Amino acid sequence: MRTLISLAVASALGFTPLLFTPQSLAADNTAANDQAKIERLQQKIDELSEELADLDTRVNKTERHTALDRITFSGDFRTRVHSLHYRDVTWNPGIKMNFDDFGRRAMAGEYGDPMDPTSPLGKMMAANPDLAAAFMGGQLAGVMPWALGSTNTYDIDNDLFYTTRLRLDIKANVWENVNFAGRLSMYKNWGDSTGVQVFDSWRSFSMDGTNSGNTSGDWLRVERAYFDWKNIGGSEFYLSIGRRPSTYGPPSHIRENEQRGGTPSGHLVHFNFDGATLGYNLGEITGIEGQVVRFCYGQGFESQWGNGELFGNLVTEDTHLGGLNIDVINDGNHFVQLTLFGAKDINDGFKGSMAFPNELAAIFAPTMYQDMQKFDSFNFVTRVQPSGVIGDMFLGGLGYVYESDDDFKAFASLGWTRAESNGNAGMFGGLLTDATFTGKLSADGSELMMVPLAAESDASHDGYGVYIGMQMPAPGGKFGLEYNYGSKYWSPFTQAQDDPIGSKLATRGHVVEAYYLFEVNPRMFIKLAGLYYDYEYTGSGTPVGAPAKVDDVMAGSAVSLLPVVDTAMDLNASLTVKF
Amino acid sequence: MMKTTHSIGLGLLLGLILGSSALAADGGNPKKGKHLYKKECKTCHSKGDAAGELTPMSKTMAQWDRFFEKDMHKGKPEVFQKLSEQELKDVQQFLYDHAADSDQPQTCG
Repeated sequence: MRTLISLAVASALGFTPLLFTPQSLAADNTAANDQAKIERLQQKIDELSEELADLDTRVNKTERHTALDRITFSGDFRTRVHSLHYRDVTWNPGIKMNFDDFGRRAMAGEYGDPMDPTSPLGKMMAANPDLAAAFMGGQLAGVMPWALGSTNTYDIDNDLFYTTRLRLDIKANVWENVNFAGRLSMYKNWGDSTGVQVFDSWRSFSMDGTNSGNTSGDWLRVERAYFDWKNIGGSEFYLSIGRRPSTYGPPSHIRENEQRGGTPSGHLVHFNFDGATLGYNLGEITGIEGQVVRFCYGQGFESQWGNGELFGNLVTEDTHLGGLNIDVINDGNHFVQLTLFGAKDINDGFKGSMAFPNELAAIFAPTMYQDMQKFDSFNFVTRVQPSGVIGDMFLGGLGYVYESDDDFKAFASLGWTRAESNGNAGMFGGLLTDATFTGKLSADGSELMMVPLAAESDASHDGYGVYIGMQMPAPGGKFGLEYNYGSKYWSPFTQAQDDPIGSKLATRGHVVEAYYLFEVNPRMFIKLAGLYYDYEYTGSGTPVGAPAKVDDVMAGSAVSLLPVVDTAMDLNASLTVKF
Repeated sequence: MMKTTHSIGLGLLLGLILGSSALAADGGNPKKGKHLYKKECKTCHSKGDAAGELTPMSKTMAQWDRFFEKDMHKGKPEVFQKLSEQELKDVQQFLYDHAADSDQPQTCG
């Protein structure tokens, strides 16, 4: 401050050096002149003092604001229009019936007298005369598909489907080696904030792990929130606990035109997890830039709390995940990632919400359906929880991303999934195996219901996935091309990808994507993209149920409780701004 | 389908009209800048060095721009003088892209 004042005074005196010389005193020695100069100087000092006081006030406000405003917000806002086209969507509802078990129970009289048309079995036989004839003729034995409706194949075109995605990223420095990070996100489609969708696929099931990638209305959800405690005790260890940054991981971030958005491989995991990571910056020892070894742990399902545990009849188990996530090298040009983890006690679903499809009521709840027909545009919203443990899963992967100095990117990722069924099954199946059904009387003995008996198989199944792509600078922006393939049993945890047709990386079949990014400015881009899905097997995006050939479902030789898509196309255009 | 074609066509047109690239140091290559930064800057600005540790996160984007426009490493000007104009742009772009208020990789640890 003093320096400033001194400089100002010196400046003011700059044109009056002669005032203090003998020559000037001789030339101009009037008190009036001196007084005038002093007054001008005083005025200058007063003005400067006033300005400094004003600056001081403003700096105090800034200092106070900086000290109290501990959170930094940034984010992005995306508006996207899709044109969605599904070809040969087939619904051939049915179940796999264990006719040996059903026959044994029927012969034992468990379902009443088959000759009595008022008995539960008599009613069922009257309602299904062809099936009854085949059964009585001894043509039905072992496990066989039982169609519960006729095969129906159709195309669906949704020419315009708009979505808006808002993501607010939060950062806060807690201490020198501790920071907090979070993300609040809203992802909605235009004209809907119900938060639940009619259950026509596993994608449409609103649940904890996939909410960030599924349109759910106009409210903000906590997609991630965690702290990082680095250099613990002066070491290279770090600990992070919370809702994990387990979405948009490499190499899936490239198509998003953003930096690495999550820790684990996006080819294997794009799912919201709550858990912890203990990491070690190995690169500080080996000298390999970006080398980090991480042990990750999480819980994907809570089996007791909130599930009516006080009634004492729960049969589910907590699902725990653990494994290693290793960045072998990450130097800006080369990125290699190794992933290996397991999930113990997978249940036949998750807790979640759905609008119950009346189509399933017609098949499985005929009594309820009688009234539901009177309100055919109504769907009751229900909370769903799994019915039991179906086995364990393991996932592994190796990914490589190359970035040239001229911003050309290429990547390849290989993934492996293994499902070990324990032989149990719920309504939609066991771990990559179908449920076999048998008959059971309702509590009052009036109705013969079909209920899951066991899994068709307790075999283990390995699935494989490949994901390759490139992105290159192009006039006005970037051009990208991607391809991914998933085998029959491919079952990654990528269901939170926000592709409306379904997570492209979970596809059991082929997906090709091409896109062009126009960079309006460094904080704003337009993306035009086209995705083509060719599903080979059913059940993409869920480990529940046996994958069946889509062609077999279309031919009527395989059944599926949910509609099956053969091919689909997603053409979309979006505008994204980052702030 | 016609509506879709119109939407995509409009997006393409907008992109062509508006598409442009703006960088902190116009023409700077951040990848090359990273190599230069490690070679030229980290020799004196690593952990424990007398000159003090310096990383891209040490300044904000605007502060790095000001540093390259006004300060030009006046504490030891010969460091900048031995680099070409293009090399300085490359380093500036790298530091700008990874500054404290820039987009960061969102991982734990």
